[in-house]
Amino acid sequence: MDMNEIKEIFFQECEEQLAELESGLLRLNDGDRDPETVNAVFRAVHSIKGGAGAFGLDDLVSFAHVFETTLDCVRSNKLEPTQDVLKVMLKSADVLADLTNVARDGGSVDQARSAQLIRELDALAKGEAPPQAAAVVAAPKPVAAATPAPVANDQGFMPVAFSFDDFGGEDEPLMEIPVYEITFKPKSELYSKGNEAALLLRDLSRLGEMSIHCNMDDLPPLDQMDPETAYFSWKVSIKTDKGEDAIRSVFEFAEWDCELDISSVDSGEDSGPAGDELPMQPVPFDLSALDDELEVPLGVVEEEEQIAAAETASNVVQLSAATARGADKGAAAAVAAAQNNAQQAASAAAQTIRVDLDRVDRLINLVGELVINQAMLSQSVIENDSNGVSSINMGLEELQQLTREIQDSVMAIRAQPVKPVFQRMARTVREIADITGKSVRLVTEGENTEVDKTVIDKLAEPLTHMIRNAVDHGLEMPEKRLAAGKSAEGTVKLTAKHRSGRIVIELSDDGAGINREKVRQKAIDNDLIAADANLSDEEIDNLIFHAGFSTADKVSDLSGRGVGMDVVKRSIQALGGRINISSRPGHGSVFTMSLPLTLAVLDGMVVTVAGQTLVVPLTAIVETLQPDAAAVHSFGATQRLISIRNSFCPLVDVGRILNFRATQANPVEGVALLVESEGGGQRALMVDAIQGQRQVVIKSLEANYTHVPGIAAATILGDGRVALILDVDAVVSASRGNPLHLESLAAAG
Amino acid sequence: MAPKKSASKILSLAPVLDLNEATTLHGKLMGLRGSNIVVDASAVERVGALCIQVLMAGAKSWEEDKQSFTFSKVSDAFTKTTQLIGVNIDHLIAKEI
Repeated sequence: MDMNEIKEIFFQECEEQLAELESGLLRLNDGDRDPETVNAVFRAVHSIKGGAGAFGLDDLVSFAHVFETTLDCVRSNKLEPTQDVLKVMLKSADVLADLTNVARDGGSVDQARSAQLIRELDALAKGEAPPQAAAVVAAPKPVAAATPAPVANDQGFMPVAFSFDDFGGEDEPLMEIPVYEITFKPKSELYSKGNEAALLLRDLSRLGEMSIHCNMDDLPPLDQMDPETAYFSWKVSIKTDKGEDAIRSVFEFAEWDCELDISSVDSGEDSGPAGDELPMQPVPFDLSALDDELEVPLGVVEEEEQIAAAETASNVVQLSAATARGADKGAAAAVAAAQNNAQQAASAAAQTIRVDLDRVDRLINLVGELVINQAMLSQSVIENDSNGVSSINMGLEELQQLTREIQDSVMAIRAQPVKPVFQRMARTVREIADITGKSVRLVTEGENTEVDKTVIDKLAEPLTHMIRNAVDHGLEMPEKRLAAGKSAEGTVKLTAKHRSGRIVIELSDDGAGINREKVRQKAIDNDLIAADANLSDEEIDNLIFHAGFSTADKVSDLSGRGVGMDVVKRSIQALGGRINISSRPGHGSVFTMSLPLTLAVLDGMVVTVAGQTLVVPLTAIVETLQPDAAAVHSFGATQRLISIRNSFCPLVDVGRILNFRATQANPVEGVALLVESEGGGQRALMVDAIQGQRQVVIKSLEANYTHVPGIAAATILGDGRVALILDVDAVVSASRGNPLHLESLAAAG
Repeated sequence: MAPKKSASKILSLAPVLDLNEATTLHGKLMGLRGSNIVVDASAVERVGALCIQVLMAGAKSWEEDKQSFTFSKVSDAFTKTTQLIGVNIDHLIAKEI
């Protein structure tokens, strides 16, 4: 692994830490006062700072340092996390993200914004918070004296050499940090169970300044020793404000396999800086990037200049919290580290590994082939086994079950919650709200709804666009809202849920809604519709997705949406999705995106239509029925309805809609699949016959061929034939008079 | 003190010195008893406390045998782990005269 790879891992972890940071700040903003939330936020910034220090990313370190200092005030209850304070912090989180991106991808950040936030953070740390913040604070002055505000401009700043525990400085009596003495004597079981004393000590050192003494008195001569027996024991002195619980948590998984004694040295004393009077002879060693050394290949370590600092012979261990990334650098060490690191455990409930996405893709493709082959094998056996019962059949059933489980597991690897994307939207809302002077609250629901990573990656762009539109054009200015009897603060709500085997993302706002008169007039002016066109409200709303609206001048004159929504629609369609809009004047708008769970497996009903085999997603089917001649009614020249339990449902001849045949089939000779579409309402899809239900592997038509109107994807059946998977919503939409070929053109355009 | 290289045997340590390697390392050291020994720890990427125990026991035994036990080259990973766990090997590191 070369330095670039390690750096890449660092940036990946930065993304996680930034997400954690934002999520924590938002929780605090919502009133969460759990100390662990504050700690998680602090750790996130601290980890970024530590890692950035190891790579010499000074700008990032400097900003993180100031940010962290202010967070430390919150952590130590010296600064109340009021809305005003959190507003600064959320903006700081944005800047931190920018600095991280610049460090990774190059470019530049808004220096003025960064400097402004440093000043604001510094002011907060000094107790110069806004009045409402200062009023709540019992003792707002501490920490401030040592706050390194000018640090950001200090070119000589040495990022690795500081720790969050020494912010207070020697002249800051309120920053006195307790000192604990720890006697740690591992039993042999500790090692045999996969724990490692060195890693425990490393984790311990993360908690604060540490001095260590190794007791080797019990170590016998070589020929009398058992190499797997524990002989070493340690006396450790650590200066930390994290408390005894944090120390114990380091040994959480090892406490039964060691003798552990933790005592507070300065209880009842108001002594000077802790650690000065330790009865041990600490071993000098370098502070820099120590964690890496436990796990990083030598070749990498050699590149780090700070290592030469071993000669500086510091007697205090200071560890950068960038150590979190160490877990990725060696499988065995990672497991041990994860087990022992209570901090990591707190922030990540499950252990994870990073895997190259290409590898997962290959695996998924292979499993897809396995499923298809298994289906083909099953079909062959069934066709050649007249009795239908044999040991081969039983074996095949087991294989089928196993294949399905493997497939489910593999698919789950790529599935990820939409949370990261939703979190990014919070920033967009903040920024646009700032620019427009509006007060906006983003509410998210269903953040843990999982969808394939490829969808998540491509979701951010259209979603950002829509959020911008929602805040910029959808919501009214506070005074206008108040005048309309609404709260000054507008609400934008983002929800995700699974429905009918797809993910449905809804973006709603409580703004003014679409001004249909203006949209209509704009469409007429742009020759999109005839002046006398008779359009329904829904059709008018959908005009904003037309490209003409985004390219026309003065689009901002529209009180509703209109800027770039054609781009949004194309992005969604490129993902195999659809987007609908519904708006209530004065009450707001709702955009509904329906996206496929790409690469997913589909439970489908295999049907025959005009000699073709199609697959209808099972999730869309409500029931199947054999139409009775008496139940079928004509409606107009071409429409037919079927009466089902005293209601009428339009009959849709799938073969006709897809142009498989020129004339409508006789419904009495076919089978009706009662389906529920995304847009609501039911339709009875007429097919010729049902072959059965089957699990099929979705193969993208777009990727392998081209978009086919009315068809969502393709699959390979057990007999090796390709079958098309019906896009139920598109077919239903077509039955409403929206020809499929137009949809196709729009998608292509 | 620099060892007499001609009379010394070199023990090159494996990159990963974990629990599994402790017994192997112990066996190798036992096999080198009676000779001056130069330990090459330059390839060490990861070392655990057990292997450091074995090495320190070796150093102790060699000292009792009045023979030389030195580290010729040590990787940074090795150095820093020993520092982390409070084991000072400065006196065992060979220095050019």
